[in-house]
Amino acid sequence: SAAQDKEKKVRKEKEPFEIDFAAPMSQELAAQLYTNASSNATISLPRKEWRSRTRNLLPDDKHFNSKDLLKLFLKPKARLGARKAGGST
Amino acid sequence: RAICTVFGDAQKSTAGHRKLVISLRKIQEQCAYEPVKLNKAKRQEDYEEEDFNSEVVRCVLRILPVRKAEPAGDRVVRFLGTFLNSAGAKDNEIATSSDPDTTSALETPTSRLVSQILNTLLQLLTVKDKVIRFRATQITSHIINSLDTLDDTLFHQLRYALLKRIHDKESMVRLQAVYGLGRLAAEVEDEDRGEYSDSEDDVGRGVLEKLLVVLQNDPAAEVRRNLLLNLPLTKEVLPYLLERARDSDGATRRALYARLLPALGDFRHLSLTHREKLLRWGLRDRDESVRKATARLFRERWIEDCAVLPAAQAAEEAEGEGAQKPANQAADPSLDALLELLERIDVVNSGTEGGIALTAMKEFWDGRPDYVEYVSFPDDFWEDLNPELAFVARTFNDYCRSNKDAAYAGHRNLDALVEEKLPEVTKFGYFLERELNKLVATMHEAATGEDEDVVEDAAQREFIVEQLLHMALTLDYSDEVGRRKMFGLMREALSLPDLPEEATRLVSEVLRLVCGEDAKGEREFCGIVLEAIAEVHDTILGEDGETEQDNSSVDESFHSATEYVDEDGATVSKPKPKKKNGEELTPEETEEKAIKEIMVNMKCLHIALCMLQNVGCDLEQNTHLVMMLNNLIVPAVRSQEAPIRERGLLCLGLCCLLGRNLAEENLTLFLHCFTKGHPALQTIALQIIADILITHPSLLAEPSIDATTATEQPEGNQLIKPVLKVFSKSLKSDDPAVQSTGATALSKTMLSRLITDPDLLKQLVVAYFDPDTGTNAQLKQSLSYFLPVYCHSRAENAHRMVQIAPSVIAKLVTIRENMLDDADVDDESGEGMVKLGTVGQMLLDWTDPRKIVGFAEAAGTNATADGAGETQFLLVERLLDRMNSYQIGKDEKKVLFSILGKVHLPAGACSAELLKECCQEVAVAYETGLATDMTSRNILKKLQSQLFEQMNTVAAAERGGGG
Repeated sequence: SAAQDKEKKVRKEKEPFEIDFAAPMSQELAAQLYTNASSNATISLPRKEWRSRTRNLLPDDKHFNSKDLLKLFLKPKARLGARKAGGST
Repeated sequence: RAICTVFGDAQKSTAGHRKLVISLRKIQEQCAYEPVKLNKAKRQEDYEEEDFNSEVVRCVLRILPVRKAEPAGDRVVRFLGTFLNSAGAKDNEIATSSDPDTTSALETPTSRLVSQILNTLLQLLTVKDKVIRFRATQITSHIINSLDTLDDTLFHQLRYALLKRIHDKESMVRLQAVYGLGRLAAEVEDEDRGEYSDSEDDVGRGVLEKLLVVLQNDPAAEVRRNLLLNLPLTKEVLPYLLERARDSDGATRRALYARLLPALGDFRHLSLTHREKLLRWGLRDRDESVRKATARLFRERWIEDCAVLPAAQAAEEAEGEGAQKPANQAADPSLDALLELLERIDVVNSGTEGGIALTAMKEFWDGRPDYVEYVSFPDDFWEDLNPELAFVARTFNDYCRSNKDAAYAGHRNLDALVEEKLPEVTKFGYFLERELNKLVATMHEAATGEDEDVVEDAAQREFIVEQLLHMALTLDYSDEVGRRKMFGLMREALSLPDLPEEATRLVSEVLRLVCGEDAKGEREFCGIVLEAIAEVHDTILGEDGETEQDNSSVDESFHSATEYVDEDGATVSKPKPKKKNGEELTPEETEEKAIKEIMVNMKCLHIALCMLQNVGCDLEQNTHLVMMLNNLIVPAVRSQEAPIRERGLLCLGLCCLLGRNLAEENLTLFLHCFTKGHPALQTIALQIIADILITHPSLLAEPSIDATTATEQPEGNQLIKPVLKVFSKSLKSDDPAVQSTGATALSKTMLSRLITDPDLLKQLVVAYFDPDTGTNAQLKQSLSYFLPVYCHSRAENAHRMVQIAPSVIAKLVTIRENMLDDADVDDESGEGMVKLGTVGQMLLDWTDPRKIVGFAEAAGTNATADGAGETQFLLVERLLDRMNSYQIGKDEKKVLFSILGKVHLPAGACSAELLKECCQEVAVAYETGLATDMTSRNILKKLQSQLFEQMNTVAAAERGGGG
């Protein structure tokens, strides 16, 4: 059955994967199936990761954008570098 | 065996599953129902139900080692679910037909099969191999979700086992566990709370409760997302689900908006707060797909909820039940539905400037051409305006005018459409006038009476007027009749003492618009505003009697306001004024008068502020403005009353933008305000200072040298130092607003190259990473935009960043150490602070020469990119210099080396001189044995060979050139 296993592996690399339902239980599979985890801890998340400080939420979005850096604080409508437009000078 | 063949075929595609289910069922029936149904002749082998079951279980075991990525595995799992479901149903049919009285939960061949499969899998949920654990959990959960009923004992065992798996190390296992439990959750909740509570305390708590914890806390987004879509939609769970609208994962947020919410049913069951928040978060999401999903939700689902229900009700009334709404088909456009929708999102509050209703309606019009076509605004539309109607008109107008040229069915374009649908300017003016009058009347009523309804009514009236004013800002005033109408109206409106502030602001903008853009228009505008201020002042104080005699009383009363201060500097209500007849005022009267004066002052200053924001002339050339400055603004700045003083300062700041001399004279005053003021004043001062510097860049310029050739030492610009000091102090403020305003102000001035101080840049970068500013989102977000823009826009900026990089890291290392030393810190490993590795990564990114504007296009020739290629050579030199000159800690060294490992050093971009310095630093590093571990030694080696190679090229070129 070791030979069979080998053959399966080779095939696996070449062709699309297929489950062979007729195949007898391989040792490999049996080992996988019946090896239990040594302790619950080894297959679990560490406890401190059970809780997230932010609850996985985004911070409050301030919607800052590029235009904010190009505007005056006091006259948000006036564009920088476009001072005294409109023929007032 | 036939069973194997069926399973084997099932993995190939899901298309044949139906047939395969039938054939597998046949086999099952042959095995399980032989005495009842079977024709013995057809049966070749005599298999028992048990054989069938164990064969299926055997096949199931074959699925277990299949890795997650294989779709074949998933297909078989699906097949199994479909089969069990259909077989179970058939079993029940057979059972019911033989015994019609059976109610439920009877044992059938399929239920025995299910038990056998699940019992097998139960043992496998805790095996070491993660693939097996994954498949076992997947099949278990899938079966749970495919079946209607489950055996009771099995149910509890499964629940227990799956609850353990929600904390599995592998997210794919957790995902499946959560999927299965989601189904169990609802049932557990109503069935047996507390039954298990005294056994294993961990499991005792409700499944649902635990799942909600997972929903909030699981580190893997796909687990949270799956849970989001699989939890029961109950009232208790809903807030937890809706909270995911802010999930840090975009796909999870999208799942909420695109899948959960549309499936949730009528949005009117949500609370107003939820509706508003969901809209706001969704429409302003950073992720475009979330914004789109939210827009669709609003204009396709929510409007339908409003459109369909009244219609359904009407139908019900007309012909009883049976009037089913056509699924997935939009109801006919209905103004009533739209009005209800707007009311349901509380448009009076959400439709103000910057409010979410504006965005929502923009999306609405954009995605509902049927409504664009449908709405109309005949005269009777304007007759009895309510906030929702006004908002419909305003947003329709906005939409059409901002998409002017968009072609529109049956019309030349949207601009033509809106012109056709809305009344012309003159008529619109009358409608607006009518609303203004209604508003003023209601304001009066609200001021005198104590009726709460009136107050609310006033708010609604105010909202309506604002909407119309917004429309007025977009109209075409080339028609002189219309323009005159609006001009007269706005002029009158501005001098209405009771007009609320926002409306006043809009009126002044409309007035500015109708006066004409040119300088003449601007002068006229200033003149009218000044008249209005005088009038407001007179109307209000005039009622008081003739204390103020003449028309120039504006400045009279302000002077008296300052006199209080002079008298003893503290009390404002000091009894001083006398009535004309000489009678003393009672203390109450005096106080009332003082309050009234403050209010008048505030109103006048507000009008002035609105005007100043809309003019751009030279202050000294405009006598109106000079007069206002002296009579209104200067006294206000000296006022004892904080609100007046702040508003006065804002006006003064705006005046300074209009005149360089005035700015120069007053800059010190604003600096002083920052130093001595409270946070609100400091914020204002910072804004003013930044605006002034940006508007008058020459203020910070070094005095030209030619003028002072006589003395060796020109005195330098006296303003620079105090300005830098103020900015530096603002970054260290305890007040988040001051801090973020300071950072933004600094960002602006640095981008304009007015401030080039490296130390301030360092403070800015440190503030960005400092955990103390962790909660100041405004600061963080503004800087995370600014820093890359700053560095990538000019090589000289990137060089400055390089200069400060070592000291930034050194500083952050210290901050980190202090934080870890601090015993009070509750989170381990300095979780609250960004990792040093990340800092290094960002510094690398900011100084990456390839990202500097102009570098890629024409290395070296573009002025802004001049020296860009050298940037990270300089970084190498700086970092090695730091390590060579100081004894630094392990952590710091590690970061510096990790940066050195990733620098980009384009060949030929570096001057020979700098190259040499780099090589020298590398040499020193070798001598002193700087690199102590394998990784850093490799990095150093790589660096050395790279630099030496370039050095050789340079040397060769020199030799070639010289000889």
